[in-house]
Formats: sequence, C-alpha cells, structure tokens
Amino acid sequence: MTTLLALPLLLVVLVGVLELGALRAVAYRAAAAADLATLVAVGDQDQIELARSGNLRLAADAADTARDYFARNLSATAPALAASATAIAASADIASFPTAPSFDPRTGVRYERPTVRLIALVPVKTPGFAALLMPAVTTLTIRSTSSPR
Amino acid sequence: MKKCTAILLMSIALLSSISANAREPLDDESLPLPPPPVPDPVAFVVPPGVYYVTDTYVADVVATSDATTTYSTTTVHESTGTYARVIDNVSTGASSAFDGMAFNGRGALTDGQALAGTYYENFVLTAGGYVPVSIVFFQDDSETKRRQTGSSSAAATKAAATSGAAVTSAQPVTSAPVTSAQPVTSAQPVTSAQPGSIIAPPPSSKPQAPIEPVGPTLRAGISLAPDGPTLASAEVLRGRLVQFWPRVFVNDVAVPIQSWRLLSAQPDHISANAGSTQPLTAQWIRMPAPGVSWSLRFEIFSLVAPTERLEAQIAITVRSPALVD
Repeated sequence: MTTLLALPLLLVVLVGVLELGALRAVAYRAAAAADLATLVAVGDQDQIELARSGNLRLAADAADTARDYFARNLSATAPALAASATAIAASADIASFPTAPSFDPRTGVRYERPTVRLIALVPVKTPGFAALLMPAVTTLTIRSTSSPR
Repeated sequence: MKKCTAILLMSIALLSSISANAREPLDDESLPLPPPPVPDPVAFVVPPGVYYVTDTYVADVVATSDATTTYSTTTVHESTGTYARVIDNVSTGASSAFDGMAFNGRGALTDGQALAGTYYENFVLTAGGYVPVSIVFFQDDSETKRRQTGSSSAAATKAAATSGAAVTSAQPVTSAPVTSAQPVTSAQPVTSAQPGSIIAPPPSSKPQAPIEPVGPTLRAGISLAPDGPTLASAEVLRGRLVQFWPRVFVNDVAVPIQSWRLLSAQPDHISANAGSTQPLTAQWIRMPAPGVSWSLRFEIFSLVAPTERLEAQIAITVRSPALVD
C-alpha cells in the first residue's frame, strides 16, 4: 500500500532529476560552444595594426566571427533547443574590445587585454518540467569572455 | 485533473516526511567565509561630463593661407582606452584657471593675445576609479593681417570648425608627446588642416641656429611590413606566421639591404637563418616562461655600405587566446 502511494512521488522525483540532468548537459554544451566561439574570435590579429605599431589589436570582424562560430557550435545541440542556433546566435550580445585597457559598460568589467565578450540567452526544451506543470521552455544565460594572454 | 494530481502528490510528500536528524556543524567543519564583495566598478564616482576618447591629440598646427593664419589641432581617430572631459572653453585673449597646466601649452596670436580653444582633462580608469593624468589644450583660433596698412595689429576671429578637412601640406609645428596615447606616425590620417595652406612658425618659436652638415648616418631596424615602420617590440599570437623585414636607413631614408643573418632567436619555426631581400618568417608554438622575454637579433649589411655591419633587434611577446574568468 505504501509503495502504491509513494510511486507517484517517486515518478515525480525521477522525472525532475532526469530533466535537471539533461538541462545541465545542454548548459555545458552551450557554454562550450560560446567559449570556443570567443576563443576563435580572439585568435585573429589585425595585421595592419601589428605592422604599424607592433601591438596586438583584434581584427575588426572579431564579433562577427564569434557570432558565426557560436551558431556553428550550437547547431550540435539544436534538437534540445527551443529556437534555431542561428536565431540564438543572432540575438546574442557579443562585444569586441579590440584595444586595451577597455571598459565593458554592460558587465562593469575592465579588460587589460583585447577581449571578446559573449552573453547569450539559450532557450532549452524541458518536456519533463512541462509534465510537472512547470514551464516547457527553460532559458539559460550563457556568458563567455576570451582574451589573448 | 492535473491540479488535483499535483495537490495529491504534494500532500503525500508532506505527510510522509520524516525528520532528517540534522545537527549543527562544528566550527572547524563550517565552510570558509566567502571573499568580501568586490566593489562594482560602475559604482565609482564618475566625473561629470567624462566620455570615452575616440580621437587622440596629435599636435598643434599653425597654417597660413593668404592673410589668414589659422591655429588648429590635429587629431587621430584612435581609442587609447582613456577618458576625457571638457573643463574650460576660452576665447581669444581670455585667461583661464588652467593656463600653464596643459602639457602642450597654450599659444598666442602675433599680438600676444592667448589663443581661443578648449581645455580637456584626461583620465585613466583604474581599480580605484577615474584618475586624472593630464590636461591638453585644443587651440581653435585664427587671425587676419591687414596688408594695406602693414600694421602689426591683427583681428582675431574665432576659427570655424575644421573637422573632416582633407590632409594637405600642413605639418605639426610642435611635437609635444601625447600622454596616455600611443605613438602616432605620420602615416596616420589627420584632420583639421586647411587646403592649400603653408606652415607658419609658432609665435613662441626661437630663431634656429644654422645646422652644420653632417655625414650620413646608418640605422638598422626591424619592421613587420616591407614599408612599415621599424619597431622595438611586437606582440604576436601563438602559432601565427609572422614576417620580419630587416631594414637599413641612411639619414632616415630606406635603402636596399644586401644580406641579413639571424644572430639569436627562440622561434619554434623559422624560414631561414640568413637571407637577402626575403624576410624572415617565424612562428612560436611554445609560450615563454614567466619573466622571460624573447627577442630576435639580426646582423644586417646594406648595399650602400656593404662592409659596415649593423645590428637590429626586436622584442617579441607571444600571446595565446584564453578564457577570462
């Protein structure tokens, strides 16, 4: 009798744990996609500035490069997302700070090196939560910042 | 139905709860205290009117066209990471509390009146907030001489804004160092020069003593482009191929080189140890140890003086992309 009564509760706990685990996995993959995108973006040096002053300045299209690679990397997680990878990357807040020191007005952080910063909202399907009367889509906030050191 | 199910499940969960037999942790078991909160940089006191600098002071310019002499300031569109604000606007002849405080000074018209212009205060953003570092004066004035009378009196008039004008033969007459800014070369696009203008000496310039002729001076250097400026140091990304051009100058005029040879180097890959007209191509894969600086040292012979051995050196800083916490 006790088992019969506890079974629904166990099912609820099981569904919640599985959904949370899946959500964590998607979050890790999205964070890795963002990290790799910003790393690629800061790996491109402005050759004209290098020849002129010898200083490292990021390429002018560093933010576009980060956005492009973020969409590509995120496409591997597309089945779990509630929006297309391209749309998520297009709406991401990606800022390039080609020279240093610089000040990020959004985060309040001061960068000592040329930096690319990415902040993206990633909507993830959570059908398990929906079965528990919770939102069917959970939005994750992904942040990544890279700089040549 | 779903609500009823949820209420039922919640009731079962609450009714079947038991005590957890928890206890208070001992003092030595408690987690370490979190670090004190870092003050938010945006909470710093921001001086009123401060803005991010996108155009950097280069030099004062005095240009004469017909009977009009224009006093202006050249800038270069470049962000140096500093901040600035306007602290005073002064008209011709008017005194200011900041006179004598600007690193580039405040010039005067031919009749001795101080120039009109604007004083700016420069700041750098540190962990402690905005720190003032210098004051610069942007002169913006003009005067017209009366030719018929030959009088030395001049009518000073406020100069019109000249931003965006094309670069002409006007040259900076002063070379005051640019504080909190990177070195600016003559290849930079400059603004606020007058078309067809010529150079007039600054009012405060002294008569120059005759310069005795000297022999040609040879200088060697390393540049990162065939016609680029010679550099003392360069920041390169790990894994990238970078070309280094040994160059020789006679009285600051580039001359062809005969040969070069690498005397010391630490690149992981180099195209050659010696060469003539071809540059050295180098690549760094490994990162230097902390506190260790790398450099490339060249021995260079030029066609102008084939027997004279010249040396040039460039310091290398290898950087690698990394995530920021």
